[in-house]
Amino acid sequence: MATGRYVSDLDSGDLLGPVEYTLSAFAVREYCHAVELHQDYFQGVENQIAPPTLVHLEKLRLYRHACPAGTGPSARVHVEYDATFHDAVKVGEPLRVQGKVTERFNKRGRDYVQIDMEVRAARDNRLLVSYRDTVILSYQARESAA
Amino acid sequence: MSAKLNVGSELRSSPRPMTRERMRWYVDAQATVAADNGRIATQDPTIHDDDDYARKQGLPGIIADGMISTNWIMNLLLDEFGEAFARKGSLRTKYIAPIYENQIVISCARVTSIEPAPGGEAAYQLEVWCEDDTRKKLTVGEATVYASRG
Repeated sequence: MATGRYVSDLDSGDLLGPVEYTLSAFAVREYCHAVELHQDYFQGVENQIAPPTLVHLEKLRLYRHACPAGTGPSARVHVEYDATFHDAVKVGEPLRVQGKVTERFNKRGRDYVQIDMEVRAARDNRLLVSYRDTVILSYQARESAA
Repeated sequence: MSAKLNVGSELRSSPRPMTRERMRWYVDAQATVAADNGRIATQDPTIHDDDDYARKQGLPGIIADGMISTNWIMNLLLDEFGEAFARKGSLRTKYIAPIYENQIVISCARVTSIEPAPGGEAAYQLEVWCEDDTRKKLTVGEATVYASRG
């Protein structure tokens, strides 16, 4: 287990969460405003849903839960977003997110971490979004990092 | 909504510059969503909003968070297919080149197949990407969208 400290410590097999939460209308509108998704179903006041891209911030929610000391010595760089949308993520609906570090590997001197995550409705366990996230833990390759 | 699309049809957004402000909006959104207290939150310097910090990390300056281009591709598909794509489908995006300050970004999609899907819908497979104004690809991937064929 490499959880409990920095994100950069994460290793294959580490479990992240589960964490239960509710997305507020404010949080969804702010996110959508920032990325210029101006559709009414994201930024309106009735029957509001979240864009499935917001799952990327649920990864950060898991990081904060599992790695309370923060990022670690270097900035991460996001490499790949890979999501399947199974059902709408509704504002105000209790949600549960959990994830697992499926792989940590080195490629050309850089450490990569891959996480598989699921967002489910907390009430009935319905799968809403499944997501695979890949990051480089440090942009600088290990041999050139000072 | 998508009846006019055929295999080979291409969608393209208007060009948008990846300004410093657009990069910062995403940085602030991360902290704001995390705090979720009705106010805008900020966070420590990142490679997306602080040139000195980015240079210390080996970059020439700030670069955009990849999720901005993912969301711009999402927007292109939502504009074409509507809300249904936010409820069911898939999207994969890989960031193959950094996007620097003021670089022009155009979101693109090309239909690669259309197959019948349960419920009378069609499953559209699309190649998706973002390119700059020299047609250099910055982000690549694919999407699956379920929609009626009219």
